[in-house]
Amino acid sequence: MDGRLTTRVTGLLRNIYPYLIVILIIGLTTLVCLPLSSPQSYHIVSFILLFVVALLAAFLGIGPVLLASTMSAVSWNYFFIPPFHTFHIARTEDRLMFFSFFIIALLNGILTNRIRRQERAVRDRENQTNALFRLTGGLSGARGTEEVIRVAAENFRTSLGAEAQFIIQDGNGHLVYNPDPDDRNTPEKPDRGTAEWVFSNLKKAGRFTPNRPDEPLTYHPLTGAMINPGVVALKIEEDRYRNRDAFWDTCCSHIAGALEREFLGEMATRARVLGESDRFYGTLFNLVSHEFRIPIAAIMGASDTLMYPEASEENRRALYSEILKASARLNHMTENLLSMSRIESGRISLRLDWHDVTDLFQRVTQNLEQELGQFRLVTVIAEEMPLVKIDFGLLEHALINLLLNASQHSPQGSVVKMEALYEKGNLILRVSDKGPGFPGESLPHLFDKFFRVDGSPAGGLGLGLSIVRGIVDVHKGTVSVANLETGGAMFTIAIPSELPDMNHLDLAK
Amino acid sequence: MTDDRTILIIDDEVQIRRLLEISLSTYGFNTIFAASGREGLVAAATHSPSLVILDLGLPDMDGMKLLLTLREWYTKPVIVLSVRSSEDDIINALDGGANDYLTKPFRSGELVARIRAAIRLSEEKQDTPVLEFGTLSIDLLNHVVRRNGEIVKLTTTEYSLLTLLARNSGRVLTHQFILKEIWGYGYLEQTQYLRVFIAQLRKKIEENPSNPTLLITESGIGYRFGS
Repeated sequence: MDGRLTTRVTGLLRNIYPYLIVILIIGLTTLVCLPLSSPQSYHIVSFILLFVVALLAAFLGIGPVLLASTMSAVSWNYFFIPPFHTFHIARTEDRLMFFSFFIIALLNGILTNRIRRQERAVRDRENQTNALFRLTGGLSGARGTEEVIRVAAENFRTSLGAEAQFIIQDGNGHLVYNPDPDDRNTPEKPDRGTAEWVFSNLKKAGRFTPNRPDEPLTYHPLTGAMINPGVVALKIEEDRYRNRDAFWDTCCSHIAGALEREFLGEMATRARVLGESDRFYGTLFNLVSHEFRIPIAAIMGASDTLMYPEASEENRRALYSEILKASARLNHMTENLLSMSRIESGRISLRLDWHDVTDLFQRVTQNLEQELGQFRLVTVIAEEMPLVKIDFGLLEHALINLLLNASQHSPQGSVVKMEALYEKGNLILRVSDKGPGFPGESLPHLFDKFFRVDGSPAGGLGLGLSIVRGIVDVHKGTVSVANLETGGAMFTIAIPSELPDMNHLDLAK
Repeated sequence: MTDDRTILIIDDEVQIRRLLEISLSTYGFNTIFAASGREGLVAAATHSPSLVILDLGLPDMDGMKLLLTLREWYTKPVIVLSVRSSEDDIINALDGGANDYLTKPFRSGELVARIRAAIRLSEEKQDTPVLEFGTLSIDLLNHVVRRNGEIVKLTTTEYSLLTLLARNSGRVLTHQFILKEIWGYGYLEQTQYLRVFIAQLRKKIEENPSNPTLLITESGIGYRFGS
């Protein structure tokens, strides 16, 4: 209550000041002009007083100007128009002069004052336009709700002199109040009741408004075209707020628009993610029910048959080999699923070290001995091949996937080629086959998750190539595929790799 | 070929234990099991097995810690089992005293081969001055390496590298271990040196350097000298 009293008193004082100034200045002018008081020169005094009134009008409001005009007329009359020291005017022309002085002083004061007000209004509008311009510029560059709020609050503070606090809804029509950050500098907390009222009625409330004017903050609803993003609570000086309703409404509607844009964007992303994960689970169920069941069936069937003592030695061997094959297939699929989830979640960590491509190729060949048994695998490593900095395990996995892919699409007995070379700071790995190549329309989708070319043989998750791309991506490299003119397809991996530092290596020792 | 040695398997998965019991007994080994680290330590102390197979992922204690405790008094071979893509664990285990490692899933034939190699290595008397690996012979006394009877010219570094690996044949030596032994502590990160020398050595001692059978790469971990 004390505070409010103080503001009222200071407000009153601020209102009284101009009048005091007027009394002082007119008094002083009268005093200065007193020596001129003679029946010959009192006209000059009238000009001086008129000039002072015009001057005062350039700085003061209409009330003080009225006072100045009246006071100057009265003092001119009292001190200068003969007979002196009376309000009585003897001559008719002096009486006329007095009235015209009064009218001129008044008009002069009022007109000057009006020009000044108009000029101030123009400057004010210009400031508002600039502030609005800065606000919209900042908002259009902001991405994400948080940033929009930050930009808006900053603009309010710097160019509009208002502390703004935003209370934004959660997307289901409930306002979310930020937990108290326990910061001494935070302005007064918005009142929840008022915020809720503003949010549900979409009307202004709080200070300077007809609704709940006793609240210390002013509340504006943020109204969008489809969604109402929330409420803004402003702490602001009266003269910056009053009579600028249109301006503040425009500001708020710009912010509401920017927030709505972000809201809708976020909703769309969420919907897409949901759709994708739905599709992902759908595919996964398909896989588990189909791709995983085949090898499991093979293992169960084979082991079951092996229980019969009648099975011939030859059959037994065949069944054992079936079990091995099926479990290798299960293992490969599990590894691919795990790799995919590691790549997707970004949990994959790169263990870069210097490696010899010979080791890589040898390891891959060894791993695929069985799977590529029916193909002619040709490996070519360029002469003078330097050591390369790679994650051995990951690239091994990528090459295995490429070779398995080639083997699935190529006729038995055909050549599958794996090449390595070093070119312009890049390790280049190529895997090519003599199969039918890929249908043109499928080329852009080959590296997509769960994508399978129509009519390709059973026994794959459609993950192999997307894993290849994931692995190449973490190496900051590129992978591409092309159909060869000579038939078949070729995958090319390019991975940037510097040359090793061999400064202290003394080969002769 | 049968074997009546006792092998201790420390693994908490029943199915893996049952499988190992069947496959190892097929090859003539006796097996004892421990389902936890604590049980494993007790069993190792009471039965004094010829070899321990240790799963690094145990429920009651860290497999690595168990290995270090075991190594305080147990000198016979330890083979660790681990899941794939945990190369750091494997390197730690090898540097912490494990003789070999296998990643799950593995073939039992592979496991048995590793067991035999580890046992043979631990029981072999290392006082022979000449090591023989197929057509390759290394005369440690006279510092002479021969392939098919012909002398192979090696630099000093190549020779030290070859003998380091050959003396530990069958065992995986980590990059860091080899770098430390040959070049010293200042070179632990310089795997490129090691790669270059291995490539040089392969050209000199392997029948087919691009498909080596002696200097075998254990990707991301180190090298093993095969025989």
